[in-house]
Amino acid sequence: MTEAFPVDIGPQYEGDVIRKADLYVEFGGPKAKSKFELVTLNSPAEVEHGRIEVIGPDIFELEEGGSYPLAILIDVAGERLEKETEPVIERRIHMYTNYIQGLYHMNQREDAWVRLSKDAYKMGLKSLRDFGKILIFLYTSELSVIERVAITFITDEKRVQELLPHALEVYHARDERLKGLREEDVDQFYGCVLCQSFAPTHACIITPERLSLCGAINWFDGRAAYQLDPEGPIFEVPKGELLDPVKGEYSGANQVIAERSLGQYNRVYLHSAFEHPHTSCGCFQSICFYIPEVDGFGVVHRDFAGKTPIGASFSTMAGNTGGGRQAEGSLGMALEYMRSPKFLRADGGLYRVMWMPKEIKERYRDVIPENLYDKIATEENATNTDELVEFVDKVGHPWLRGEVELP
Amino acid sequence: MTTAIAIAGKGGVGKTIIAALLIDLLSQKGIVLAVDADPSANLNLALGLPLEGTVGGVREEMVKDIQKQSLPTGVPMQDILQGRIRATLVESDKVDLLTMGRPEGPGCYCAANHMLRLSIGRLTRNYDYVVIDCEAGMEHISRQTAGDIDVLLTISDPTVRGITAAAAMKELIQELRTKVGGVYLMINRVKGGPPREIKEAADGLGLHLIATILEDPNLADLEVKGIPLIQLPPDSPLQLGVREIADKLKL
Repeated sequence: MTEAFPVDIGPQYEGDVIRKADLYVEFGGPKAKSKFELVTLNSPAEVEHGRIEVIGPDIFELEEGGSYPLAILIDVAGERLEKETEPVIERRIHMYTNYIQGLYHMNQREDAWVRLSKDAYKMGLKSLRDFGKILIFLYTSELSVIERVAITFITDEKRVQELLPHALEVYHARDERLKGLREEDVDQFYGCVLCQSFAPTHACIITPERLSLCGAINWFDGRAAYQLDPEGPIFEVPKGELLDPVKGEYSGANQVIAERSLGQYNRVYLHSAFEHPHTSCGCFQSICFYIPEVDGFGVVHRDFAGKTPIGASFSTMAGNTGGGRQAEGSLGMALEYMRSPKFLRADGGLYRVMWMPKEIKERYRDVIPENLYDKIATEENATNTDELVEFVDKVGHPWLRGEVELP
Repeated sequence: MTTAIAIAGKGGVGKTIIAALLIDLLSQKGIVLAVDADPSANLNLALGLPLEGTVGGVREEMVKDIQKQSLPTGVPMQDILQGRIRATLVESDKVDLLTMGRPEGPGCYCAANHMLRLSIGRLTRNYDYVVIDCEAGMEHISRQTAGDIDVLLTISDPTVRGITAAAAMKELIQELRTKVGGVYLMINRVKGGPPREIKEAADGLGLHLIATILEDPNLADLEVKGIPLIQLPPDSPLQLGVREIADKLKL
């Protein structure tokens, strides 16, 4: 039932770019100072279904060719909706706008960018109200959980600016909440074999608490990439049965490793550097390496050119770590993995770390417990194992004092 | 349908001017995406367009933002990258320009390049023509960040060294996974006809010579004055040569 709208609607328009030469007006984007889009879940009583409001000049009142401020505020209600779904519903603005012939949407949140083509304007899309009507139509017909939708468009720069701080607060709060996502909260992990051209037995297992070794793909990216291209190098990994909650062994991950490593390995511990550690590709951001003299770990990142206390540099160690092997006591990893609550949980986590370059120690100051921070050596404290033993003895590293209990 | 043309050759053979003239010519027939994939080429200057940022810059910025954890959660990185690439696109009436910028630094670019491939692929299908000015190593072709190629036009000056470089590029591209339609050779800056030795060398290396262009007397003046090179007079040897190629290849 799209006859009521001035332009056509459908997924065939997704990916159509509106070039500057074909542009009637644009909202947001790099040239507009104030813009954002925000979806808010409200109680049904607060959402007057179908209400569309335009505050500030509408499309037909604007000069052709210009870039204008815009806030898109969408209020939704539905019995089965949860606060956590707000970002998902908000992301649909991107998808649905691109379904509309002659409209084009880029970016998200406070970077939102909408273009309207000259052709669409000629066809009669001259008011944001029409845009709103189509969005409401798409929201209610595509997502049955949404029972009520109301949309407010604001093109008045001052009003957009006044509301922006609130939107930024909401985005921030969402990010914090999503960062808290655990392996227990999801049914699927994602796998990535982008690096198999030089590490044929390697597959990254990406969980909400363990991102890809290169640091570039987190669980959300994995999910998005899989949805975009289900046949691509990033695929779904059913979690399966939790076989070992401490080491992070899942039957689903084991099965994937067996398939993707071409039978080389059939078990993987996601949160231990021993026995069946995660395989390493070649492009991990850092290496976590076991130092027998102190029974602890060192962490070294790619940009550190010097030698670690065990006498080897990153590049030397990378040769022994990577290539798709499970190398016990030598783990390629994303630096951000250190932020994970499950970081090498089976081995003692951050409390087992004895050495890291100063730059990394400073960068991760906020995740290293206060009583541990001064007890981790850097290249300034130790350049060989003798110096490292002396340092951790002197400062009384909690692992060596037996103060750390393994789970 | 988008026709993708890559132009490659060793430095100093007039590759960028030929790319610019071809872009200008094709823009009379359709919408062109110009891709500057040579960090030392300055295709934007030849086309008389400003420079607003580079894909390489976007890639580095993404890597930094990932480390700082400053990217919004819940929005796919692919979409963020796509938006940022879109913002570096210089838009003019019939030609849009995408500048690839500096090559990768150390570190892992597998994921970044994979995302780039998808983003650039989605962008290019909106154009009638994509013309890529490649650096000699053809990094973006080899990494497939620039997608598949219908025509590879190698440019050489009338030297055996230039011809050998062109042949090496042909060989390189055939070893890659990138699909390539036809590979052609164009010899620039000849005085009179192409020297027999050069023709023989091209034949011997299996290169299909499609055109030769005379040394262009009008070029130096534009270069000195800093005028965009696409403003060469229409009867300039370079303009004539580019038109000849477009006709022969039915572009």
